[in-house]
Amino acid sequence: MSIETLEQAPVAPVKEKEPLFSKRRKKIFSDPLNDDNPITVQVLGICSALAVTVQMRPTAIMAVSVVFVIVFSNLITSLIRDLIPNRVRIIVQLAIIATLVTLVSEVLKAYNYEMFKVLGAFVGLIITNCIVMGRLEAYAMGNSPKDSIIDGLGSGFGYAWIILTVAFFRELLGSGSLFNYPIFEKIGWASFPTNGLMVDSIGAFMVLGVLIWIQRTKTGYVEN
Amino acid sequence: MDLLSLGIKSIFIDNIIFAYFLGMCSFLAVSKKVSTAIGLGAAVVFVLGITVPLNWLIQEYVLKLGALTWISGTFAEIDLEFLQFIMFIAVIASMVQLVEMIIEKFSPALYGSLGIFLPLIAVNCAILGGALFMIQRDYVLSEAAVYGVGSGAGFALAIVALAAIREKLKYSNVPDGLKGLGITMIITGLMGMAFKSFIGIAL
Amino acid sequence: MRQSNLYVLIFTAIMTIVIGGALSVTNQVLKPAQLKSIELDAKTSILAAVMTINKDEDDVLAIYEAQIKGLVVDINGNEITTNDKGEPVLADKVNILRNFKKDPAEREYPVYKFSSAQNQGAVEAYIFPLYGSGLWNGIFGYLALEDDLNTIKGISFGHVAETPGLGARIATPEIQDRYIGKTIFDKNGNLTSVTMQKGEKRDPSAFGEHEVDGMSGATLTAKGVNAMLDQYLRSYEKYIKNVQKQESI
Repeated sequence: MSIETLEQAPVAPVKEKEPLFSKRRKKIFSDPLNDDNPITVQVLGICSALAVTVQMRPTAIMAVSVVFVIVFSNLITSLIRDLIPNRVRIIVQLAIIATLVTLVSEVLKAYNYEMFKVLGAFVGLIITNCIVMGRLEAYAMGNSPKDSIIDGLGSGFGYAWIILTVAFFRELLGSGSLFNYPIFEKIGWASFPTNGLMVDSIGAFMVLGVLIWIQRTKTGYVEN
Repeated sequence: MDLLSLGIKSIFIDNIIFAYFLGMCSFLAVSKKVSTAIGLGAAVVFVLGITVPLNWLIQEYVLKLGALTWISGTFAEIDLEFLQFIMFIAVIASMVQLVEMIIEKFSPALYGSLGIFLPLIAVNCAILGGALFMIQRDYVLSEAAVYGVGSGAGFALAIVALAAIREKLKYSNVPDGLKGLGITMIITGLMGMAFKSFIGIAL
Repeated sequence: MRQSNLYVLIFTAIMTIVIGGALSVTNQVLKPAQLKSIELDAKTSILAAVMTINKDEDDVLAIYEAQIKGLVVDINGNEITTNDKGEPVLADKVNILRNFKKDPAEREYPVYKFSSAQNQGAVEAYIFPLYGSGLWNGIFGYLALEDDLNTIKGISFGHVAETPGLGARIATPEIQDRYIGKTIFDKNGNLTSVTMQKGEKRDPSAFGEHEVDGMSGATLTAKGVNAMLDQYLRSYEKYIKNVQKQESI
């Protein structure tokens, strides 16, 4: 090669390292909170959203567990995404999720047995929470670990705020308390008529339905 | 517990959708047409009816404390319950794969209309939930079988009923924000209320 | 290469080993804490029938160790020490739910004798586990009788899924305290149990020795409680009468 060709050889543009809180990443995090909320828009993860939201305390534990599982399964899947053979993709994803959920369940059993009993089978059902699988398949399989973590946090929090809101109304109206603290009694309204429907599955459906109505009206999303 | 009353209880009173909210995702997604709903319902009955007793066998002879004594007495202290989730999911996924192959062979039309929702039965909370509740309630094998079939039947009943209502709903004026998921939630709540009326039955 | 059968096999094998390893390690590390939690939970429920437990302060395991002695009896009131397979039968290991499913004549019935901290020789109370069907799912509890085996010293209830605010009230001290002081045998020595009435009067003086005030709106749960108490008291009746006879000697 001559010196001229060497001098004229195109220099590959140096890729700028993306800042951790870039605009793109902020969007990955914020989209699932509202516009693309896993529960109210994508219609995923409804099962557990209704079952455990009778009281705030188990709901909070559930929210933390789900965020943990989504973030770590996203991270692990993204790290090994180039190694996973296509044929066993779904099985591998399921195995990763099942392992993480087993971990959460074992830790709960050891250190917070009371909540473990209250949540019962629903801890295990995080495995079948469509959001977790959905994020792995839709995002973690094709994106970098850092982005996958952010996406996991976004979806997790999107899920969390919805279930905590539902639980807030269900516990307040159904049991007259919040986090087992008898609010109405303390403010002097001890005879507050608790609504039995709220404690029941029916109340859950109604509250969630209304919440979806409000949220979708605000974001302007209309289904079909 | 009397098997017949357990069966009736699982279909109406302990309905896996209305009482326990399991299986909501496919419930909401496949309930737009009655014909697909019937197909999915039948598939769920089949899968639940087989996986719940199968998982019972696994719990009894592989997982619980002392389960492996049929291999050798020295295994009496082994407790593999921490593998429960993984084993159950593996069994369910395999079973669903089998059902998928059978349906593809015998009814390609149904296979086509169910589409992605057939493999999704594997991650349907109702299937894993059925197995986990069976463990929680400490059923024996016969109870597990009845519970599996009953829960499946309850799911099928619910999804077909909801599909019928939603087909009619196409002709009404639902506000924009409620269209789709919102109104379905509220309808499901009302249906749940109706199913509550079965509580008072003395079995 | 990624799609070849060999690769899939190797990948799956490695994955299985990693997952199996991770889960086994977790299990080994957490097992002691888990067993302790379960033990603590059961023993707290038993002690709660006779005393108020402060979860944060009281060393439940130590109190239980010092003041509770368990044994298992059959329906005839005879002590069982080994089962059909020759294995020892311990009160703490009896699975109440599993036994509930058996015919009452076939069940193993644990009894817990409670002594005070000061005088560990004398039995102050007898505690009996109970199980029954509430409105939605199982209800259970521990009944504590004074050393006369007639007066109720205390009772603790739990439930799987009763309605909060209604049936779930059985787990509150308000309802459980209603049973204190009631008697289970009438003047002629016949077993009458203690029945929760329908409706709620909120006037303790309106109820006799074998009745307690009900829970408004929770009649079916109350019926479950009554049935549970009645059934188990009848099952323990022979044991109770045996002990009463021995004590009067």
